[in-house]
Order: sequence, then structure tokens, then C-alpha cells
Amino acid sequence: MNNDLIERYIYAVTKRMPEKTKNDVSDELRGLIDDMLCERCGDVVPSEKDIKVVLTELGSPQELYEKYNTDSKKCLIGSPYYSTYKYVLKIVLICVGVGIVISVAASGMFDILKTAYAGEISEGISYAQPWINLFINIFTMLPSGMLWAFAFVTLLFAFFYHNDIKIDTSGNLDNLPPVPKKKQTISKSDSIVGIAFLVVFLMVFLLAPQIFCVIVTSKNLFIPIFNVEMIRAIWYIIVLFALAGVIREVVKLIERQYNKRVMITTIVVDIVSAVLAVWWLYSDRIINAEFSNNITTLFEEDFLINIFLNFNRFFLVCILFALILDAGTAVVKTLRK
Amino acid sequence: MDYDEVVSGLILELRRGTLILLVLSQLKEPMYGYSLVKKLQDNGIPIEANTLYPLMRRLESQGLLMSEWDTRESKPRKYYRITDDGLIIYEKIKKHWKEFSHNIDNLLEG
Repeated sequence: MNNDLIERYIYAVTKRMPEKTKNDVSDELRGLIDDMLCERCGDVVPSEKDIKVVLTELGSPQELYEKYNTDSKKCLIGSPYYSTYKYVLKIVLICVGVGIVISVAASGMFDILKTAYAGEISEGISYAQPWINLFINIFTMLPSGMLWAFAFVTLLFAFFYHNDIKIDTSGNLDNLPPVPKKKQTISKSDSIVGIAFLVVFLMVFLLAPQIFCVIVTSKNLFIPIFNVEMIRAIWYIIVLFALAGVIREVVKLIERQYNKRVMITTIVVDIVSAVLAVWWLYSDRIINAEFSNNITTLFEEDFLINIFLNFNRFFLVCILFALILDAGTAVVKTLRK
Repeated sequence: MDYDEVVSGLILELRRGTLILLVLSQLKEPMYGYSLVKKLQDNGIPIEANTLYPLMRRLESQGLLMSEWDTRESKPRKYYRITDDGLIIYEKIKKHWKEFSHNIDNLLEG
């Protein structure tokens, strides 16, 4: 009797089963196939054709495996998360696409200006070179940025789906949210602009922090305000900052109105962002030493000198102010009756 | 319109729930899978082994059936039997089925 075919069939059915059921199912199938062969052939030794008929009757190994597979979550992201996933994915991809194009274009324009102003044209490098670089950058950054965004959103929703994390609380009639008052609705475009802004912020600081600089045309000087090496060394702070902001905007996009969830998420995210901003900007390490040393020669007005002497703190205060404004707006709009 | 395809799809849906009721009803005494296939077939309920075996395993994991390997004979076989919980649940669905099918009969004949 051709046991080999039967064993290969059983192996194909059970190979992806969990260890603890694998052997049991194998033994049971072996018994079943034997019973079916006895039924078909009686005492005669079954031929290979008989075995094939019996195995065909049982169906393909894949079909049989599917019948044994009781996992109720057979897909990566299923109902009721899928529709929200599609919606968020679409918006995040648009924002990341727009954000990358804007930020790469901004840093590319900087290079173009720099070439034009500072006359940094050595032999063999033409005026066209920065433009070519700009387009190369856009076409290399865009696919990888989109891929990252896609992977991030997909993994997030797969995690929600497989852990039954509720993202929509309007499950039963008592919890149906009230129709939002006009002043409590969150416009979709605000969140999209918010995400695009965060992506631009992230990309510019990750890829081209040198575009914040002072240009002294008379002396052919380019002095970056920030310490580019330090910014690159603590890149993760900016990534966390942008990520926190994106999560806040995604929650707003899902809820579409100011409510307790939006308020709490906003407050938590804004506090986290504030801590990250302080960590990032409080110390002078972030400022280019050459810039600090040259401030008095670069500017004449005392007002500007004061701002630039403490530029990191000035920048920090701006960010903190924006965060307080954001949290305050969420609280006021949520609690307003 | 392909009548056969639609009809077989609908029949499959009709059978799905009733098969569980039938399986529970037959397992007050321990039986192994293939003997149950035969018994159901002999009583006019055709069922494929590849449907029944996974079904019994699922009912076992839900606590409605329990199983035991019998290795005393030359062929080791896995015997399934209804549990106490399974019996209570079986009585409840059986009652529901009787009322349900009675009401359906009334409506279909009416």
C-alpha cells in the first residue's frame, strides 16, 4: 500500500497547525483514511488509484486545513476596522506625499539658491545640478516615505484588530454620539494640514536642518543656525514628536468632533510633545556655535540679537505656546455646551 | 440563472446549523468520526467526513464534546461523547428546533 502518498497528504494538511493539535489531527486523519479505504476495498489491498480517489474525496490539503482552522481572525485587518483603516490610510498617504514633496522641494530650493548666491560652482558642476538632485530626491524619497507610512498605518490597525481595541464607541444605542453642534465638528482639512505640517517639519529637520541659516551675501557666508550634527544625533526626538502629533490628528479624523476622547488624547499628546520639545531645545547644544559667536556681527538691532542669542529658547516658547493653544482649544470646544 | 448553484448554496446554509444539532443528538454514546458519518448517511443525512471531523473538533474545543483515544483494538480511534454542558445545550436547541420547524411548516403549508 502506498503509505507515502497518504503521509504526504496528512503532512500537507497539518504542517501549519499548532504543535499541540498537529499530532492528534494526523492520527485522526490516518484512521479516517484507513476507514475510508476499508469501506472502499474491503479486504483487498487498496491500489494507488483507490488511495487517490479517497484523498480526492477528502478535498485538497489546503481546503481541509481551512476547515480545521478555527481562528476567527483569518485576515490582517477585518471588519469593523477595515473601513476606518482605508480612510486613515488614504489621508495619511496624501499627507505624507504632499509633505515629502514640499519639504524636499524646500531643501532643494535652498541648494539652488545657495549655488546661485554663493557662487559655489566649481569646474564640472552646472547650475542644473541642484535641480537634478531635487528631482532625484523627490523620486527616491517619495516611494520609501509612502512605504513607511503604509507599513505604519497597516501595523497599527492590524494591532487594533487582533487585540480588539475599540476605536469606535458607537456600538450600542445608548452610546450613539450626539449629532455634533456646528462649533464642535473637526474639519477634515485641518487634520490633513496638521499631518502635512508635521511631515514637513520632520523631513526638513531630518534631512536638511542646514536650510535654517543666515546668508551674508557680501561675505559669501552661509552660517546654519542649528548644530546639524547634534540634530542628526538626536533624530529620534523629532520622530517621536511628529509621531505623537500624527496620532493626535488621526484620532481627530476618526472622531470628527470634539469629545472626551479627542480632548484626552490631545492633552496627553500635547504634554508628551512639550516634554520632547523641552528635551530637544532647552540646551544650547542644538545651536551652531559658529552662529552664536557671530551674532553680534551679523545683526545690528538689539531686538534681533536678543532673539537669536536665545534662539533655541525662543523656538521652544513658540512650540509650547502652540501646544497650549491646541490643548486649550480642545478643552474649550469639548466642554462648550 | 443557474438554479442548481443557487439552490446548493442555500441548502448548504440551511444544513450548517442543523448538523451541529444532529451531531450532538447522536453522541450520547461514544462514537468515532467515521462511524458517525456512516450512521448519518444511513439515515438519509449525507455528510462529508471532511466536514464532520473539523466540526467535532470545534465542538470539543467549545466544551460541548469530549474525546478519548481507544487504543485497545488494532486501529487506534478517537471516540467523541457529549459532555454534561453539551447535553444541557443540546436539549435547549432541540426544543428551539422543534418549535421553529413546526412554525416553519405552518407557514410553508399555509
